[in-house]
Amino acid sequence: MTIKSIHGCIGCGECVQACPCDVIRLDPDTGKAVIAYPADCQICHLCRMYCPVDAIEMSPEKSIPVIVAWG
Amino acid sequence: MTSKNHPTHPNRRTFLGLAGAATGLAAAGMRAGWAENRPSVAAADIVGNVHETDVLVIGGGMAGLFAAVKAHDAGARVLLVSKGRLGSSGLTPFAKGFFVFDPKTEKGSIDDFVAGVSRSALGTNNPVYTRQLAEHSLARAKELSDWGFFDQTLCHRPFLKPIAERGIPRLERVMITDLIRQDGRIAGAAGFSLDGDGAVLTLRARAVILCTGAGGFKPNGFPVCDLTHDGSVMAYRIGARVTGKEWNDGHVTRSTHPAACYDAWGDMFDRVPGTNGVEIHHDLGVDVNYVAYKTGNPLPGGPPGMVEDSAIEGGPVTPAEFRRAPGGPPPGADNDRPPPPPGGPEGKGPGRMGVPMGGASAGMAIHKSEGLVPIDDRGTSTVPGLFAAGDALGSHMAGGIYTQIGSSLAGSAVQGAISGEAAAEYARGVDLAQLPEARLAEIRSDILAPLTRSAGYGPAWVTQTLQGVMIPNFVLYIKKESMMRAALAYVEELRDHHIPMLRAADLHELRLAHETANMILTAEMKLRASLMRTESRCSHYRLDYPEIDDRNWRAWINIFQGQDGTMQLEKQPFDSWPAFG
Amino acid sequence: MQVSFKSITIAAGLGLLVLMPLGLYFVADVPRRSLLKEALSLLTIVSFVAVIAQLFLARSDRAVNLLFKAPTVQRIHRIVGYGAIAVLALHPFLIVLPRYFEAGVRPLDALVTMLTTFESLGVVLGLIAWGLMMLLGVMALFRMRLIRRFGLRYRGWRAVHGGLAAVFLITALWHAMALGRHTGLMLGGFLIALAATGLGLLARLYLLERPRPQPNVQGAST
Ligand SMILES: Cc1cc2nc3c(=O)[nH]c(=O)nc-3n(C[C@H](O)[C@H](O)[C@H](O)COP(=O)(O)OP(=O)(O)OC[C@H]3O[C@@H](n4cnc5c(N)ncnc54)[C@H](O)[C@@H]3O)c2cc1C
Ligand code: SF4
Ligand code: SF4
Repeated sequence: MTIKSIHGCIGCGECVQACPCDVIRLDPDTGKAVIAYPADCQICHLCRMYCPVDAIEMSPEKSIPVIVAWG
Repeated sequence: MTSKNHPTHPNRRTFLGLAGAATGLAAAGMRAGWAENRPSVAAADIVGNVHETDVLVIGGGMAGLFAAVKAHDAGARVLLVSKGRLGSSGLTPFAKGFFVFDPKTEKGSIDDFVAGVSRSALGTNNPVYTRQLAEHSLARAKELSDWGFFDQTLCHRPFLKPIAERGIPRLERVMITDLIRQDGRIAGAAGFSLDGDGAVLTLRARAVILCTGAGGFKPNGFPVCDLTHDGSVMAYRIGARVTGKEWNDGHVTRSTHPAACYDAWGDMFDRVPGTNGVEIHHDLGVDVNYVAYKTGNPLPGGPPGMVEDSAIEGGPVTPAEFRRAPGGPPPGADNDRPPPPPGGPEGKGPGRMGVPMGGASAGMAIHKSEGLVPIDDRGTSTVPGLFAAGDALGSHMAGGIYTQIGSSLAGSAVQGAISGEAAAEYARGVDLAQLPEARLAEIRSDILAPLTRSAGYGPAWVTQTLQGVMIPNFVLYIKKESMMRAALAYVEELRDHHIPMLRAADLHELRLAHETANMILTAEMKLRASLMRTESRCSHYRLDYPEIDDRNWRAWINIFQGQDGTMQLEKQPFDSWPAFG
Repeated sequence: MQVSFKSITIAAGLGLLVLMPLGLYFVADVPRRSLLKEALSLLTIVSFVAVIAQLFLARSDRAVNLLFKAPTVQRIHRIVGYGAIAVLALHPFLIVLPRYFEAGVRPLDALVTMLTTFESLGVVLGLIAWGLMMLLGVMALFRMRLIRRFGLRYRGWRAVHGGLAAVFLITALWHAMALGRHTGLMLGGFLIALAATGLGLLARLYLLERPRPQPNVQGAST
């Protein structure tokens, strides 16, 4: 699930800004961060590290099939 | 297809073989590829904004930071634009080792250093840029230190310090899609904002510095998924020359959770950056890929720098001087930790991440080897007014293989600063180019086209198809003519039939659509350059031409768009500049 | 008889005010984190519950006042009050504290970001609640002087204190519901129910006040 869940978000938008891959957006209604495009998460943890209240939980597993050079 | 819990196989759900990759991916958890495209934003309602500046810096990594600061300090008005945030996009956030040549502590001279890099790089490095790196690294490290870069893990705030102090305006979360050339010289750039209801931006500038970093095929296991060689592709489209596309970065990931960059790099991403002195290697080419090709997984235990000494015959050649001593730290084959970062300090891994698996950084070459062809030592490209620095510049600073540890980060800083001054100087001598309305309208409609298509191909699906074609070891890494021709046929199909039909339902997908198009063009460049280079050297390995061919190939390959729009390639001898400018 | 009533009340109180929130905390569908972070979360939650519990450790709660002597209740009210306020006053700092021990945004930077996110109603409410809480605490500390200085009678003081407490609680609760990591349906619902009951008692005291509580109220409502 890549970036997995967000709990206790204060809506500061740091993670939205910090994510290189534009995975997270602020929900216009609630003002809180939502995982909008999980398939594009590169599991780099920048969002988690920038979140001032440590609201983001990560998982190491990608949500779409992973293509590598050999298996 | 995979047996659960077998250490040599990726986890359930995380792996798909080539056959599946090329065909049935749409079903596997992404937006249904067959649904009608109903965009959430109406292209017609998207506003257009125009900005004007002297020097436009595209990219907010290490190179972009210094380009902006130094162009400003040289008297230019600067605008910094980036797809992501300053210091939190591209590769810069993940690099922790910064090379510093400190004459006080180094035993050897700069001449010795340059000679050492050239020996390891088998001549593929441009010694002018190698020397420049050593000469300027200390000064850049000093500035970074003043801004607090070496005091904390994350670099947005340290980067913001000099930018805010100088009042340099920033546009962030703006994807640049087009460079604009008018009357033969650069006139600016255009792109769109990812936020709100979107906006098409026209950025008029006297000079443009591409600090857009490298790119890849959105691979798994290396944090390069936000970069798709946009700078090189945009520059190629307006007539610039691009080089270095045949080299490969050989980073591997792990069979357990192959896509988890953070986990695979041990505590690297958590570290506070530091500096290091001269330490030249011949690392992270395709040695591991060769062993994997010959033996399959799991890989034999020996360090890949020593494949020649092991039971596996042939493969990429490491110059004797740079072979790792037995028992020494293996670059990349140690099962329990990630390979050392390109030119960075070695990580202490988390253990038990499984065996190495290739293609982590697929689509990316050795840092500084691929990118715009410079015509001088200041990052000047073949298009007047267009400069490049860092990973976006094909300076061949380190060569076609990782040589000096920590030189990638330092090289981006050094080159950024120099190109910033060069661009400011150039900008003083020219006016803003006029931009015909018709041209701007055309660019706008190109940018937004995927939003206006009611049917077409989803960029995620096209990307995965491209990955399935390009990433296999026997296409991208262990090369031979027949396979590359086959892959090229796929890529040409994607180029001709799928790029024009990419669709997007929102601004995020619009970004993906443009990135996908750039990846496809990059794939074509990589295949054509690799086909052309009929030898093996550094990180370029051909099964059908396994030897180093010094008679014919002491040369780089430049790529440019011909008059008829087709991709052209030419040789440029090592140690020379392009013959025109 | 009296003694066992007391201990039952104490046990019930502790159960309701400590075990219940802890239980709800543990069943909440929220990822577990490091020991330090979990401990800090728990401390904050228990402190907030304790602050709400102040409504039951006051004159408004007739049952408690029947069972225990007024000075005892007052003493507990003070100890719990100052203790909980101290934790809650620090809780913005406690949130960023773990960053001292791990990679990521630096604690002070995180704090600044947090306290300047004025677009977030939850943050603004939190700032207001924090201010009100500090005011409550400081006023309580100097209540004697205040009473003398403004010539308040005890009842006047109590109205100010209780009124302020009610406004504070509502703001704080709103803040906690809006931003709390664990204030989902269960813990959140519990907090609301608890606060509503307490505020109800307070309202009864103020609005339907009689000179003296009748000594023979039935049973202990807690
Ligand atoms: C995990 C990891 C570890 C590394 N470790 C080391 C190390 O220890 N030592 C070392 O020397 N090097 C290391 N490197 C390499 C080093 O990080 C890079 O070479 C260097 O940071 C490149 O800097 P740059 O500024 O040239 O490009 P980047 O940092 O990649 O920046 C590119 C910028 O361009 C922007 N951009 C791209 N396309 C567009 C577009 N179309 N429109 C607008 N903006 C755009 C991006 O948003 C980004 O801001 C490491 C890299 C990785 C990934
Ligand atoms: S882990 Fe990285 S890519 Fe994924 S959401 Fe966070 S910042 Fe974005
Ligand atoms: S950084 Fe944290 S608090 Fe801020 S918006 Fe993102 S998840 Fe919410």
